[in-house]
Amino acid sequence: MNCCEFREKHSDFVDDLLNPQEQSDARAHLTACAACRRFDATLRAGLDALRALPDVGLSHGFRHRLQWRLRDELAVRVPVMARWSGAVGTLLLVATIGFVGWDLLQSRATHRRGAEWAATTLRPAALPLAANVPARVFPAVRFSSLDPRSDAFHPINSILVTDPPGPAARGNQVRYDLPAVWGGP
Amino acid sequence: MTLAVRDGLRSLRHTPSTPFAAFEDSQVVQAFLDGQDRAFDELVSRYQVRLLNFIYRTVGDRERAEDLVQEVFIRIYRHLHRFDQSKKFSTWAYTIASNLAKNELRNRSRNPLVLFQTIKRHWEADHRPLQFEDSSSRPDDLYRKRHLRELVEQSVSQLPEHHRVVFVLRELEGKTYEEIAEITGCNLGTVKSRLNRARNNFAAIIAPHLD
Repeated sequence: MNCCEFREKHSDFVDDLLNPQEQSDARAHLTACAACRRFDATLRAGLDALRALPDVGLSHGFRHRLQWRLRDELAVRVPVMARWSGAVGTLLLVATIGFVGWDLLQSRATHRRGAEWAATTLRPAALPLAANVPARVFPAVRFSSLDPRSDAFHPINSILVTDPPGPAARGNQVRYDLPAVWGGP
Repeated sequence: MTLAVRDGLRSLRHTPSTPFAAFEDSQVVQAFLDGQDRAFDELVSRYQVRLLNFIYRTVGDRERAEDLVQEVFIRIYRHLHRFDQSKKFSTWAYTIASNLAKNELRNRSRNPLVLFQTIKRHWEADHRPLQFEDSSSRPDDLYRKRHLRELVEQSVSQLPEHHRVVFVLRELEGKTYEEIAEITGCNLGTVKSRLNRARNNFAAIIAPHLD
């Protein structure tokens, strides 16, 4: 083994990674070559001095500062969660509004159907009332057009129906606004 | 002082104050992932000094090294759920530290102000009074020790960056060639070659001072 080869394999020689034959050759070269011996001794002494360096210590507030930074890290994560929960909340809100709107429309449709029923049944000719009104259709229609104190006749603008017609009547009252053409508002 | 002794001293310094003290790194990691936040404290206790020394020897600025160690732990905390647990936690932690140290050196070379501040800080450290270091030793011993220490540190800092990282990981942190290859993202041949060159350079730099 010559000096170039020795220097090339010196790192493995220091770490005992050469195979037995190469290790033996390196040792033989070291015995024979003063320059490489000096180089080997210098490196080993330098590495010893390096490994003897004391550890650098942490400053007093290191852990405290780290804890604060980790809290900040958590604080960054929370808005991310909040953003998602906000999106979910928005979806829920939209769904709720949609449901309420749909329910309202359904309710209006029900009332419209009731008004249509009233409009077709309560023909102007049937008003004002009594004898011409079929009892079957208006079991409990109360007209408030006549003021008992003044005996004056007020135009009818709505009627109150107790129990829509049908066998399952339960005493509910439904107020129907009448069109102006019938004398309403 | 051998690496085994250094590791022994480090472990002595770390008192087993948590229920995770007897756990392997992988068990501590799993405990943290299972929701035990105190497990993270254990990881910090185990690695804070080691990482500080590794980064400090690489970047040569103690305060900045401490900031970078904090950044390492923040990244570990942030990404631990993505850590491949079939690998060694220490290798992963050193990989993060190594990348941050490399970025620091790259940024510093681009920013002369940062370089100036570092030099200034070192200048201030060099001129602090000797008597504050250790009153139990003789002044000439203290001077010799401190001088040798500075020479060794300067010799390390004069190594090219990619040689220095490999050199510190091997000589101070006691990593195997395979671990260094994984940490630095190089193949084994490159690690061996860089380490050999780093050692040759180191020997050449320190030789005049040791004679």
